[in-house]
Amino acid sequence: MSLDEGVDAPPVVEQSDAVAEPIIVETPPPFRPSVLGWVARGLVLVAVAAVVVLVPATASNVDVLRYSQAVIYAIIGLSLNVLLGYTGQISLGHQAFVGIGAFTSAYMVTVHGQPFIAAVGMAMVVGGLQALFLGAVSLRITGLYFALVTLAYGTMAEESLFNIQSLTGGSAGQPAPKPAGFTTDLRYYYLCLAFLALVIWVDWRLMKSKGGRALSAIRENPRVAATFGTDVKVYTLMAFVVAGVFAGLGGALLAHNDTFVVRDLFNFQLALVFVIMTVIGGLRNRAGVVIGSAFFALVGHFFEKLFHNGLDLPVLKVLPKEYAPIVIGPMLLLFTLTRHPGGIGQQIRPLQRWLRGGRFSFKDTHDSEVRVSDVRA
Amino acid sequence: MAKLLGSRTALVVTSIAVVVAAALLTRYGQKQALVIGVITGAGYGLVALGLVLIYKSSGVFNFAQGEFGTVAVYTLYGVHDLAGVPLVPAMLVGLAASAAMALATEQIVIRPLFNAPRVALLVATAGVSLLAISLELWLGEARLRFIQPALGRLDRISVFGIQVSDQRLLVLAALLMLAVLLGLFFSRTNVGLAILGVSQEPVATELMGISVRRLSSFTWALTGLLAGIAGMLTAPVVGSFGPGFLTSTSLIPAFTAAVLGGMTSLPGAFVGGVVVGVAQSLAVSAPAFKEIPGPGAVMVFVILVVVLAVRPQGLLGKTS
Repeated sequence: MSLDEGVDAPPVVEQSDAVAEPIIVETPPPFRPSVLGWVARGLVLVAVAAVVVLVPATASNVDVLRYSQAVIYAIIGLSLNVLLGYTGQISLGHQAFVGIGAFTSAYMVTVHGQPFIAAVGMAMVVGGLQALFLGAVSLRITGLYFALVTLAYGTMAEESLFNIQSLTGGSAGQPAPKPAGFTTDLRYYYLCLAFLALVIWVDWRLMKSKGGRALSAIRENPRVAATFGTDVKVYTLMAFVVAGVFAGLGGALLAHNDTFVVRDLFNFQLALVFVIMTVIGGLRNRAGVVIGSAFFALVGHFFEKLFHNGLDLPVLKVLPKEYAPIVIGPMLLLFTLTRHPGGIGQQIRPLQRWLRGGRFSFKDTHDSEVRVSDVRA
Repeated sequence: MAKLLGSRTALVVTSIAVVVAAALLTRYGQKQALVIGVITGAGYGLVALGLVLIYKSSGVFNFAQGEFGTVAVYTLYGVHDLAGVPLVPAMLVGLAASAAMALATEQIVIRPLFNAPRVALLVATAGVSLLAISLELWLGEARLRFIQPALGRLDRISVFGIQVSDQRLLVLAALLMLAVLLGLFFSRTNVGLAILGVSQEPVATELMGISVRRLSSFTWALTGLLAGIAGMLTAPVVGSFGPGFLTSTSLIPAFTAAVLGGMTSLPGAFVGGVVVGVAQSLAVSAPAFKEIPGPGAVMVFVILVVVLAVRPQGLLGKTS
């Protein structure tokens, strides 16, 4: 599903002007896969879609909750990707973005008895508004200092906003029942999947639009972009609003998946996990971000499974599953930063090219790779 | 010279403002909050000093700074409270642990990313921080630990009519002594001067025959020590600690303090720490903020945003 959607996206904007040596462009003979080639590509896509759709259908209820969480994390990862990847602004307070969505939706459903869809809509609106506020701050404060502001913002949300008794239920938390018609975990999983598809589609269309091109121009060099008449303020704010709306949606879905929101969930560690999963997924590569996010949502679960099935690794006995993502994550992050700055997105690029109807080759994986270094400082 | 004078003027203005604020607070019965704020703030200042040192030497916002201190606290707890080693040797072991962690971070994470952009480094130090927190969660069983106070029993001493616990006074004395020692270190010793030199003119310093890399390692170890001292002094005052102790209590206030001090000024970081500490303590105790949950965090956020928006060079920083 995710792979399938990501593949439709065109290659990311060329980074080649940053490369020192000039690339001599020869006109290569256009490559067309044979009929058998197209069939093979189709089969792979169908297989991926089948895994995404069918595996949860055969899983137990507890497992399905985890799969739904993976899908929701993918939405959150895409939200953070808008900031980190497209605008080059780092957010260390993304748990607040998500938490505000979660509490808004729970508040609307539980306190005001609104239907699910209205609550999710409200969560998206509120998420967008608070992102707009932070975006306005980012216009004045950039780079490292902005990262600091988001960090302080996240902590403030955690300690102050999420403690407002009447809105969030304080330390007791707020119930958030599953919507009518999607009360089983499996149905809710498909609902989340549908929302993820929607987010990927919106993200893809937005990045193809004038706004998306403006964003990449601004990320490359805000001054040059402004010189060419790009409205830096408007498009940066737009990106923040999009990220906030996605994060609000992710938060609302997360709330109703757990059927309960507690403020302790949205701590600093979660914000770091969000950043790590997005960076490891590979900035500006939708499929990579989705895979990276799902991996971090599921890694603890996999550990448990392996252990349960009798695989006897000493590590698995020692490392409890709830700590697996936060122990493994930073190690992978440091490895990614120092060795493979393009993350998973870089690794799967040959496969993506092949699926799109190109040759399968490991060559030229370097020219269009996306680096963490694109984040503005 | 004008620059120096400028920063002096800022210092004078800040000092006057602090004195006026203190007088007002005493007048309006917030003495207690003031004293507690100063002591907490001195702890922030210590962490902020480390942040500024690293920013000057490596150009990194070090999000792992708090964890250097937490590791020291865990080591102190394990060696002193669990294994029964006397306090002073146990503290030395704790300091060694935090310095070792800082040094390891520099060698394993910062060195390979020497040419990477600063934001990649920031994400990397955040990763180090998360790794440390998760290791503490995993190995420390994710619960709060209660740490014995350094002085046998908790006494409240009356100073100028303010009740202060002797723990806090001990912290204040230690911090003042440390501030003086650091001041001497950076103005009198060759290593201290070399660190300042590297932070201002790395190339020129290298040409003078000073190894920038070795100094960088030294700076990181020094900041590890500072964070370790901050952690081991504040944990007994709070009375308990858990995973990510110093990160959650001090990292953001310390960054705010460093920004307030201009991010490059060492005295500025310390003064900034005291200002943030007092402001936070007032927000917590003032009746006007009773209705707001988590007033301390709100106050820190407001200070940070206002300083960055209105005076990005900080109170004592250089205008560039």
